[in-house]
Amino acid sequence: MAFVEQLISNLLYGAILGSVYGLATMGLSLIFGVLRIVNVGHGAFIMVGAFIAYWMFILYGIPPLISLFLAIAVGMAIGLAIYMLVVKRLVDAPELASLLAMFAIGIFIEEFAKQIWGADYVGYSWEIGGVSMLFTEVPFTKLLAFASSIVIAAVVYVWFRKTKIGKAVRAVVEDREGATTCGIDVSRIYALSFSLGIGLTVLSGVLVTLFTPVGINVYMGGEYTLKAFVIAVLGGLASPWGAFYAGFIFGLIENGSYTLLGLIPGVEPFGLTRFLSSVVLMLVLLVKPTGLLGGE
Amino acid sequence: MLLKLEEVTKRFGGLVAVNSVSLEIDEGEKVGIVGPNGSGKTTLYNVISGVYAPDGGRIFFEGKEITNLPAHERTKLGIARTFQVPRPFGSATVRENVAIGAMFGRANAGVDEALEMADRYLEMVGIYELREKEAKLLTPLEKKLMELARALAMKPKLLLLDELLAGMNPQDINRILDLINKVKEEENIATIAMVEHLMHAITKFAERVVVMHQGSKLIEGPTMEVLNHPKVVEVYLGEKLKIG
Amino acid sequence: MRNYTPLVTLLLIYAVMIAIGQGIQGMWQPIMLVIFYIAVGQALNIFLGMTGYVNFGYVALLGVGAYGMAVALGYYTDLGLIPALTLGFILAILLAFIVSMVVGGIALRLRGAYFAIATIGVNEGIKYLILGGKIWGGSSGIVLSGILRKAYGAETMRFLSTVFADAGLIVVAILSGVITMYILNSRLGYGLIALREDEDAAKVMGINVRRYKQIAFVISCILAGLIGATAWTLKLTYVFPQDVFAINYTVEAIVIVMLGGAGTLLGPVVGGLIYALLKYYLTIAFPGMQLLILAPLLIIVILLFPEGVVGYLAKAARGTRFEKFVR
Repeated sequence: MAFVEQLISNLLYGAILGSVYGLATMGLSLIFGVLRIVNVGHGAFIMVGAFIAYWMFILYGIPPLISLFLAIAVGMAIGLAIYMLVVKRLVDAPELASLLAMFAIGIFIEEFAKQIWGADYVGYSWEIGGVSMLFTEVPFTKLLAFASSIVIAAVVYVWFRKTKIGKAVRAVVEDREGATTCGIDVSRIYALSFSLGIGLTVLSGVLVTLFTPVGINVYMGGEYTLKAFVIAVLGGLASPWGAFYAGFIFGLIENGSYTLLGLIPGVEPFGLTRFLSSVVLMLVLLVKPTGLLGGE
Repeated sequence: MLLKLEEVTKRFGGLVAVNSVSLEIDEGEKVGIVGPNGSGKTTLYNVISGVYAPDGGRIFFEGKEITNLPAHERTKLGIARTFQVPRPFGSATVRENVAIGAMFGRANAGVDEALEMADRYLEMVGIYELREKEAKLLTPLEKKLMELARALAMKPKLLLLDELLAGMNPQDINRILDLINKVKEEENIATIAMVEHLMHAITKFAERVVVMHQGSKLIEGPTMEVLNHPKVVEVYLGEKLKIG
Repeated sequence: MRNYTPLVTLLLIYAVMIAIGQGIQGMWQPIMLVIFYIAVGQALNIFLGMTGYVNFGYVALLGVGAYGMAVALGYYTDLGLIPALTLGFILAILLAFIVSMVVGGIALRLRGAYFAIATIGVNEGIKYLILGGKIWGGSSGIVLSGILRKAYGAETMRFLSTVFADAGLIVVAILSGVITMYILNSRLGYGLIALREDEDAAKVMGINVRRYKQIAFVISCILAGLIGATAWTLKLTYVFPQDVFAINYTVEAIVIVMLGGAGTLLGPVVGGLIYALLKYYLTIAFPGMQLLILAPLLIIVILLFPEGVVGYLAKAARGTRFEKFVR
């Protein structure tokens, strides 16, 4: 019975973490959907968010939920700067150019961060108690991360559906040329979407810290880049909503398989889980490149 | 019989782009396919050249079924085409572009032979002096001529021309039509030319015309007969005037 | 016409480098570093440069090649030196072949960006398979120095890790160049250029694009495996998963190819030279900041000089008597 209890509590944890995964992937999908640019440096922006949460907490005692606002502002500013300096010139360039440029930008951010923050693993702990449910003690911090993810995703959803500019973004995703002829300023939509995409990614980095007590490091992003691509691909790559739902599924798969792999003697389940992520990534792309959940 | 389509259908979502079209082309024949934008002509070409597999119907080439054959294998059998919007291999030179046609088309030439063939066909279409230029630097007209040379260098049995003459002046049109007629006679290539407008040019070129309308074959027959048919006049009210 | 004369330039550069390395005190190690980077660039160029597809998992092929050699020398030491070495090269090639057939077989069905995304997890995936499955020593890696010294003697071991390893790498580097030149002059090369420029049009021109991409991918990967076997396992006499799957080698290889000129013969040579020298002096001047400087450099090259140094030179040389020496 202990195993079943462990599996259930791990799945619960997976669902909670999955919400953050989903949020952390929405920016990637938004940028791909609108600009058709693959942000291969995605994880670096999550790292930036994680450090914002860390420093705000350590230096000023500001809880991560408040840092979310700072994170999205900083993220959008960084996103806009990158768009203006680099991405703008690459929207219509061959894919090779934008792939390599985003890759280089990710590395630059990591290396720049290393110069100012060092290469050590750091962490903080925000203790506000917890609640007992489904054979395990769930800290309030994780429940707050779960709730915040859903609220933020909902806000973005409403913004897309109800505001004029949100509708314009959707029009560009669906039909770039059509949108131009309808009088939509496509380059403005690009700038906004890229900026918002990076903003959401940095923001999600803040929530990620609630799950990695001592895992904040300038190279932490690589792991999330891989996970985000698995999730984005599951969700259809171009659909932020597909990504958000796929985040849950990935969280469940990851934590479920971790528990099951732990039953095999002589292996290290954490490593094998990450091996499985890359296998899943490839297989999903092979079977259904448009995503298992369809996409919009 | 060189090419035979049996009730070929191609859908995109709910839209039926090509609706149960049957068509037969003989060796060395000259056929025109006429139809307004959106009538399914380009889709028909894509289905013949293997860009898409049809959703229904069968395609035969020289009596052999090719319905599900990949595009590159159809090319080897002797199908070549040009594109409505030219698609040069941009960073390669004009000569290399044409040589690629000679290497991978039915001609199946080795590298040296292909480069020699490229020179010959470039001379033929009249852009030999541009052969060392990067293809992306050509003007739209030059790109079309290069595509024609590339398609001819493949030594096809069936040549599919997609709006080749659009945007050319009457002088160029006459020159290109003479050229195609000449090569066609020498090498016995069946040629299908697809046009949206330019009914005048089609009368000079095609022995037989197929008119497409909303994905279906509206009518087919000897050129002058078809173009004066009341049904065609009805669809092409504006075009009729251009013939005179 | 087919033109193999750029090989003259290539071999001349190698001759000069080897002469400098042998003739000037203390220059051999820097020269070998340059040759390592040239080789890494050449092997990647055969795929990335000629097809325009980005293989983010590139380093994994160096890694499995390194493991192939290490497994042969470490676990089959008793076969004797020559058989074990031969087995090492065979395993390096075989592992690289298997990985490239599996990854290529799946991922090359995908176009452009989707391919790149599929390869993102390859190096991490294999690394974590070794770590998580505790294969080939898991995180402890394979350490050969003790085994080799005991089995074949200190003298032989030193010969293996110096002269033999260096000579092996030079052979692989030159071989990569010769293969590149051969491809550029062959139908394969023309087919690859066509599919790089417009894959759909290439198909209609009669090119079996899947097969051509796969061939380029497998060649590139096997050469990478041989580099891993010589420059890492033989030279360093140890293999650790954390080292041989490190993403920075992929970055370095991409920078070298782009800097020198993708799809050219001499591009990776020039790129490797510039890169290795830059890295060497940057490491002295700004320790630990190489990537910080290289990343913006890559962006600048992509934005302003997408053809790279050799691409630019080849254009400038067009119509001059140097034309046939640059490609």
